[in-house]
Amino acid sequence: MSQAGKALNILIYAAIFILLEIAALAMLKSSSSLQNIWINRASHRTMAFLWSHGEKIRYRFQLQEINERLAQENFLLNQELRAYRASDTALLKKGIEPYKEADGFRYIPASIVKMSRNTAHNYIILNKGSDDGVTPHSGIITSKGVVGIIDAVGRHYSYGLTFMNNNVSISARVKKNGVMGPLAWDGKRRNGAVLRDLPLHFEVNQGDTVITSGISTIFPPDIPLGTIGESKTVNGALHFTAVNMFQDFSSIKNVTIAINTGREEIESLEKKEEQ
Amino acid sequence: MKNPELALKYAIFVTAQVLIWNFCDFSQYVMLCFLPALIMYLPINHGYIYSMVFAFAIGFAVDFLSSGMLGLTAAALLPVAFMRVAIINMVFGSELFSREENLSLRKQGAPKMLTCIVLSTALFLAVYIWADGAGTRPFLFNLLKFFLSLGLSSLVSYFVIRILESENR
Repeated sequence: MSQAGKALNILIYAAIFILLEIAALAMLKSSSSLQNIWINRASHRTMAFLWSHGEKIRYRFQLQEINERLAQENFLLNQELRAYRASDTALLKKGIEPYKEADGFRYIPASIVKMSRNTAHNYIILNKGSDDGVTPHSGIITSKGVVGIIDAVGRHYSYGLTFMNNNVSISARVKKNGVMGPLAWDGKRRNGAVLRDLPLHFEVNQGDTVITSGISTIFPPDIPLGTIGESKTVNGALHFTAVNMFQDFSSIKNVTIAINTGREEIESLEKKEEQ
Repeated sequence: MKNPELALKYAIFVTAQVLIWNFCDFSQYVMLCFLPALIMYLPINHGYIYSMVFAFAIGFAVDFLSSGMLGLTAAALLPVAFMRVAIINMVFGSELFSREENLSLRKQGAPKMLTCIVLSTALFLAVYIWADGAGTRPFLFNLLKFFLSLGLSSLVSYFVIRILESENR
């Protein structure tokens, strides 16, 4: 038998061995709770190892693209900064104190430890937790838009639901005319979303930009999300509009957590009002 | 297995293993198991797939019929079946396979046979004791149990193979 044939045979035997071993471990898992916990723990460790190394390899291959994007972003930010400085200097020369608006959010950079992309309820784990000041219901964003919402926080890690999750909906606004509606993942494409419940008397055109509305306490306002795609009318009264998101979920490594510094106050006001 | 006498002896030894595990409680530190020897002693022309399916089946049968955890013996016996060819090659050389010559105490001698038994039993016990403890038992306890069980099981396995070989094949 040739070397290739032998190698193929060994692979087939190894596959049968693995299958039978999995069957045996599955029986063992269901027959004892102690072994069940042990096998689950071992499986989680293995998966975490494979995931983290897979992500590292993927990240390595994307480094050049990420660097180019960062350089571009850096250039744009510098340009914006120069414009602000020029405008501030002009105001100061006229004896006017420049107006500085605080958006009420604190930002923490974070890296993705794990992120699922292939289910209807995708999630994300970030390497920042309560020790870093992360709180539940904070937004996860990048320069290209919204990634998700923090759901639970541990000391060193936080768990969030990504936008590619049927349970996540964010408040969005069409930049051109200010009309608002809930934006949710379309459940099909990685960059596909649906903007619902837009009143018919507002005109929306393909290519219009969609941004965060700023009326929720989760995301800062005016983050670009995507552009309007095809639109259809539902029940003769509302627009049901497809949105092509800017954010590409297959190539994210670093994100920013946006924490609303005034949330506690807002929530306590809401509670008082409810009482 | 084409030899009915050998098949009957295998059935008797599997039954004996079930009875031992059900009724003979040596101690927490010692377990007696000669199933790896049965896997190693399978006719040499039975390849990987046969030995793995056989190991899974007798492991499952023993677990099912004794008060142990279902799947534990099968999970520990499968690596023995998978490594069987490698162990035989290492201990007896590859000529055994080219000549299609079965393992034999008389032809290959007791030292080689004992080495083969010890290696296969060690592999079985390592997986069995590790999975049985599920990370809850101290390492030294597991180590002591491993060596005591290896000594007893290898000795008994040697005699099991002598009985299998008598008036056989």
